[in-house]
Amino acid sequence: MPKILLAYIRWVDRMNRRIGRIMMYGVFAMMAVLLWSSISKTFFLPSKWTLEVAQFALVAYYMLGGPYSIQLGANVRMDLFYGNWTQRTKAWVDFFTVLFLIFYLAVLFRGAVSSTAYALGHFGDEPFRFFWELLRAFFTGGMDAVREHLGFIERSPTAWRPYLWPVKVIATIGIFLMLLQAFSEWLKDIAIIRGIDLRTNSPAMLDERGHAVLLGAGAEVAGARTGDDTGGEAR
Amino acid sequence: MSYEMIALFMFSVMMLMLLTGQRVFGAIGGVAALAALMLWGVGGSDIPFSAVMKLMKWYPLLTLPMFIFMGYVLSESKIADDLYRMFHVWMGGTAGGLAIGTIGLMVLISAMNGLSVAGMAIGATIALPELLKRGYDKRMITGVIQAGSSLGILVPPSVVLVLYAMIARQPVGQLWLAGVIPGLMMAGMFMLYIWLRCRANPELGPPLSDEERASITWGEKLKLLRAGILPLAIFFAMMFPFVKGWTSLTESSAIGALTAFMAAVLKGRMNREVFENSVRNTLAISCMFMWIIVAAMGFGAVFDGLGAVKAIESLFTEKLGLEPWMILVLMQLSFLVMGSFLDDTAMLVIVAPLYIPLVRALGFDLIWYGVLYTITTQIAYMTPPFGYNLFLMRAMAPPEISMRDIYASIWPFVVVMVLALTLIMVFPQIALWLPHLIYNK
Repeated sequence: MPKILLAYIRWVDRMNRRIGRIMMYGVFAMMAVLLWSSISKTFFLPSKWTLEVAQFALVAYYMLGGPYSIQLGANVRMDLFYGNWTQRTKAWVDFFTVLFLIFYLAVLFRGAVSSTAYALGHFGDEPFRFFWELLRAFFTGGMDAVREHLGFIERSPTAWRPYLWPVKVIATIGIFLMLLQAFSEWLKDIAIIRGIDLRTNSPAMLDERGHAVLLGAGAEVAGARTGDDTGGEAR
Repeated sequence: MSYEMIALFMFSVMMLMLLTGQRVFGAIGGVAALAALMLWGVGGSDIPFSAVMKLMKWYPLLTLPMFIFMGYVLSESKIADDLYRMFHVWMGGTAGGLAIGTIGLMVLISAMNGLSVAGMAIGATIALPELLKRGYDKRMITGVIQAGSSLGILVPPSVVLVLYAMIARQPVGQLWLAGVIPGLMMAGMFMLYIWLRCRANPELGPPLSDEERASITWGEKLKLLRAGILPLAIFFAMMFPFVKGWTSLTESSAIGALTAFMAAVLKGRMNREVFENSVRNTLAISCMFMWIIVAAMGFGAVFDGLGAVKAIESLFTEKLGLEPWMILVLMQLSFLVMGSFLDDTAMLVIVAPLYIPLVRALGFDLIWYGVLYTITTQIAYMTPPFGYNLFLMRAMAPPEISMRDIYASIWPFVVVMVLALTLIMVFPQIALWLPHLIYNK
């Protein structure tokens, strides 16, 4: 395989893994916000920002953590037939069907960019051009020119009224990372078809009923997986 | 292309993608995106992403990572070991007592987490080997654990009912309360069945030997009873402020997750490995759920746009001229068929959006239907040949339990569950009495 593609796979997998391993502690962030919400509600005045902050955190959690969950092989597949196929057959079928996944993510990505542009005051249907002009304005005229370019900034219709563009930017980045990861999975399928197994930390750590192991707290397997993980870090 | 053709096309492409093993969210979402583009052009391309924003505003989803985290902390840290010991010493003396105790264990585990797999994992790894060692009939106890684990999504907190609430737009609190009595009733029926069978044939579940019973002192027995306090404490810490209206649903779930975590820390079970596994698996499973829901919301939006629900309704009521009750029974039967080859989350997000509006249009109570729905899907997952739980069980059970044993073990419990389902269909009050009492409806 061309070196550049190998580098791509290594680079994307490592980046998404790092991001995912940071995001997985997000569960404590959400817990803390919700606990603060119940404490403040009981003892002081209820905070009006907690619920929305927790909701934003959840979006960041599953959007930015998504690629890592693909690496972990957590996304269920129906393995009625799939489970019985050989590694090579799986790769061949995936070679076609992953394109379908990529198509979905691409549409999602376009929607995310358009929604972010809307949140910054672009009501037309050329979001990419809007961001391109925003970028050009930034390099020619600095922040003032950018401000000139922005329209009505969207806010959430609640008492706290937070701006919505930050969470949309996070979602857009998350979907973009998913795209990168899906493309990396596709390249790995091609590699398997050509007889090379590049999967470093992905499905290999899960058995045929990988989902079962993940859900089922199979201690031995989980232990083995931790071993894999540290191996991945050292690489 | 007519709308019916588009609907048909969507379903065939989705089934093709699902059966060829692409990730479920990719299959569902891809079909939605494709259909949206075909129907509405560039404007349709916003539909898949608008699901993300819609979901963000639906706050009960925040409970999902909390309950998943709770379940993992409980099963990874093996807090449930003591609980099993408790039932072991207290129930071991009677014939079939350990199996009956296992159902009790399952009820307590269900009260601490919202997924059925956690109960199954605990049952298969802790209870099953012990029961085998004591000479219990392996076919009976394999069924006991599978049946018992199905209580996990009926007894609150239940993740499945949270998702159902999202699709049916019903209050989660009432749905949870509606699940309590049916769940306990089903547990009681399982216990009765085990007791009757072991009475007729004591070889199926021999009582503990006299020496073993004599070796357990009363002091130890009482000490073990304390293990039972933990799940009750977690359950009440979570449910009491919620039912009282002091905290919201999401806040309660965070309290539950914190108490479970604290319990594991205080018991000295929270080491680095348990922590790592719980946190990582929570991310993995939450992401899986969330992405499937995002995809399914997009799918649902396109489907709504097509008016497919209306078409199905008119097919049943006008073209076929069926009574509402017959449609309901037919729907439950079709669930059984589909559940035997679809994965549980997939089924919830694909089938429920089609059926729930239909149930509403037919004039049935959606809270009550939520309970029926949950029990039916559980039956479906444990019906051979492709029931999802059967494979989970195979993955977790000790090797001496073959697939054939698992298949054979399940039938009597399926019969009991169908009986329970029929009872709740005929007497809706079994489900609705408690929520009406507490919410004064």
